[in-house]
Amino acid sequence: MDERVFISTPDHVTLEFELAGPGSRFSAYVIDFIFSVVLIVIVALALYASGAIVSLRSLLGAAKSGARSASWILALLVLIVFLINWGYYVLFEGLNKGSTPGKKRVGIRVIRQDGLPIGLPEAALRNLVRAADMLPPPSYILGGLVMHFDPQGRRLGDMVAGTCVIVEKFDLAAQGASGAAWASRVEQGRSREALTLPRGAISPQQIGLIERYLARRHQLSEERRAQLAWQITEPLLALLGQDHDGVARRADRGAYCEALLLQVIELTQTKTPSITIAEKTPPPASLF
Amino acid sequence: MQSAEEKFAQWTGFYQRAQAILRAGPRALKKLNGAEITRLIDDYQALTADLARARSLGAARETVDQLNRIAVAGHNLLYGQIRLRESAAAARGFANFAGAVRRHAWAVALSAVMFFGPAVASFVAVQIHPSLAYDLLADEFLDFDPASPDNLHSIPSLARPVVSSLIISNNIQVTLLAFGFGLTAGVGTTALLIFNGIHLGSVAGWMSLHGKDRALWGWIMPHGATELLAICLAGAAGYMLASAIIVPGRLRRATALKRVGGEALTIELGCMVMLVIAGVIEGFVSPSAIDYPARIGVLLASIALWALYFFGAGRDRGARPDEPPSD
Repeated sequence: MDERVFISTPDHVTLEFELAGPGSRFSAYVIDFIFSVVLIVIVALALYASGAIVSLRSLLGAAKSGARSASWILALLVLIVFLINWGYYVLFEGLNKGSTPGKKRVGIRVIRQDGLPIGLPEAALRNLVRAADMLPPPSYILGGLVMHFDPQGRRLGDMVAGTCVIVEKFDLAAQGASGAAWASRVEQGRSREALTLPRGAISPQQIGLIERYLARRHQLSEERRAQLAWQITEPLLALLGQDHDGVARRADRGAYCEALLLQVIELTQTKTPSITIAEKTPPPASLF
Repeated sequence: MQSAEEKFAQWTGFYQRAQAILRAGPRALKKLNGAEITRLIDDYQALTADLARARSLGAARETVDQLNRIAVAGHNLLYGQIRLRESAAAARGFANFAGAVRRHAWAVALSAVMFFGPAVASFVAVQIHPSLAYDLLADEFLDFDPASPDNLHSIPSLARPVVSSLIISNNIQVTLLAFGFGLTAGVGTTALLIFNGIHLGSVAGWMSLHGKDRALWGWIMPHGATELLAICLAGAAGYMLASAIIVPGRLRRATALKRVGGEALTIELGCMVMLVIAGVIEGFVSPSAIDYPARIGVLLASIALWALYFFGAGRDRGARPDEPPSD
């Protein structure tokens, strides 16, 4: 299977989804299995408790009527266990936009192949034919093989229902605003422009690199963050009129470089410098 | 021209509004006024334009991901109405269980042959070679003795609710297996039908051999028509899936499966309802003390009702708007 699936919408927008791999799907399955067993135990205990009440009352009243309701309670238990066994996935996925407690925990979700969330019909189809994917039970070898060879990583049930399982994790806040900065520069036709400073230009590739670093910096370890900031800033120090050796020796080198990078991005957006670039100093005496 | 801050505010604002409306349910979009709808669509179009530029001009991976995820939320919101229309069509489809069965009569016929063929064969085989029963039947069936004229089946009335629910869940499980195993190109469905057919035929043959015909048929008749018909229909649903794998025509197999899936599901769900009815009869009517003619009456009545339903229901609807287009 591939790692990504692309869906074209009627208005020619291409939506991109990251497919969930067998590993995350299996761990979601294990969590859901444990969860459904817990559900069954809870139901059984609840019915056992109500059965105890019934038999207490039957001591006071007619013994026969007590046994009769005990039989009904047992019948109810049989039906509920059956319903949890076969209906767990159908109901959770159908009513919860393709997510079960296990899937939610792992961060994956079932969607339709047109990108919309699934409903009850899709959830029923993909889960009621589960027995075939499980063959030979309970190994899931057949479903696993089909998943392996399908470009969209679908098991047989997914094919019948027209669904696939995707990675859901997304945090808008963590992604940050650097993308918007890029997009507004593009809109103003300045995406491919270098940033011209008194001492030379910063290339669009370098600006892109800075933006990527700034977008990702919160997910990096402190050490790595400082190290990358230094590596990216070092070639630009002369352009920014900074003293290379002075910056290199600073204790807060990483934070200082990051501040410089933020200023560079600010410059690319506003073109009205809010920082004072150091005075142009005469070039060093050339050897030639 | 927007500044970076305005642009980011537009993205996040759109994402949060889309998420809120999506959470509120599929009908929340209808409650918005014209200006709000216009703004949603404008924001969505601005966003998808940004996404297209981000891809083609090679923005950072994070930016593309971010825009893509916001666009997915917008797409789910603005195109989610398709789901409402579809679920109305699906509800009509489920209501037309009889129509789905009629359209796939070939599958029902195949399934019936695979089930009743081995049943009849093993019934006859046990008559000719009684010793075969020792190979075909489990011990509890060899000395199975439900029969005395006054109590045809030995389920005490106290246990009937439990027995009924066990029968219902067991039978539904069998039909779910017959349905799902259709995905093994019908091999699993066929094996299941043959296995159950042989079991039924040899039990019947063994009891008939020991002169318990009346008890046997008296027990089977009230629920038999409904239950056996439901098993055949579940086999048919399995064969429908199998046909998409074996003869997908010009479609890809996955596409063919999806196309036949809806009607197969309709039939399988219909089977479940039939089995609940059959299970209630099997748990409460079959073991009760009603006499032989009344049992024949229940059998005939159930056959007549199902025949009326499957040959008549949903026929006068004229054209079939819910049939998938043929291409």
